[in-house]
Amino acid sequence: MKPDHDQQLEAAINAELRPLPEMVAPAALSDRVMRAIEQRARLPWYRRSWQTWPVAWQASSFALLLALFGGLCLGSWELPQTHTPALALHRVGEWLSGLHMIGNTLDVLSRAALLVVKKLGAGVVAACLISMALGYALCVGLGTVYFRLAFEKPKERSL
Amino acid sequence: MTDAQQFETFMRNYQNMVYSTAMRLLANSSEAEDVTQEVFLRAYERFGELAGSPTAGGWLKTVATNLSLNHLSRYRSRWSFFSELFASHPEGGDTPEPEFAAEVDPGEELEARDRQELVERALQKLPAAQRVPLVLYHLDGLRYEEIAEKLGVSLGKVKTDISRGREAMRRKLRLVLES
Repeated sequence: MKPDHDQQLEAAINAELRPLPEMVAPAALSDRVMRAIEQRARLPWYRRSWQTWPVAWQASSFALLLALFGGLCLGSWELPQTHTPALALHRVGEWLSGLHMIGNTLDVLSRAALLVVKKLGAGVVAACLISMALGYALCVGLGTVYFRLAFEKPKERSL
Repeated sequence: MTDAQQFETFMRNYQNMVYSTAMRLLANSSEAEDVTQEVFLRAYERFGELAGSPTAGGWLKTVATNLSLNHLSRYRSRWSFFSELFASHPEGGDTPEPEFAAEVDPGEELEARDRQELVERALQKLPAAQRVPLVLYHLDGLRYEEIAEKLGVSLGKVKTDISRGREAMRRKLRLVLES
């Protein structure tokens, strides 16, 4: 495309777009905003954004967060350096005993899944996976069509 | 005058500008209203600073632009992907041309308001990928580099999209541009 054409087109589009006046906001918009402000004002302080909290609560929550962060940093630094690593590991092991149980369950489930794959054969499993993917694609496609049909804007009157 | 009344006056002074900014970027009135509402809710939280400030308009426009762009990237990406799959665009992503009724005479002088309405409609019918950089360039006066940074895309893509957008506008507005 020629540079002259581009420049002329840019100037022409600019000349059309620049003088566009502001659109008129819907008449009900200001009432809607004022209602939303009133609704927010009725919310308890802890459900509003942090910036609007009372200063004392802002300071307290900030201090609490700092303390938590500091504690976490200190803990992660001190734990590996403790003189009784066995004791520390034992405590950690106690905390993680719940996780160990979950791990066992997952292990059993994965073994069962492997057994199913061996018995059924890879072809059947692949077919199942493909049919699941197709089903997902179908759901997304139908959902898209539904959305397009249900929320399509009415066609504007031609000039 | 109470704070609420002062804010209402402040809002009435700027609501058209904020709504226009959102509407031209989003091309959807209900989404533009949602964004406008959110802009003014944020403005209310810092009304103490904004009231009487000469930069209030600029602040509102920046917030409206950013919220509109966030809205586009957050809620539209998946939908636009599928809607573009279904739409048949013969010229690489442009929407079908607006329907001009046969009785519109190309030589006939259009009133300024009609002309602006046509331009506005043509702009809103552009796909977001072309409309957004076009609006940021021509209406907000941003440079290509600033647009690329704001949208998180390459400079080349911005230039291409704006160029395609202008071409699409030219086709849609051929009657206006020729008059």
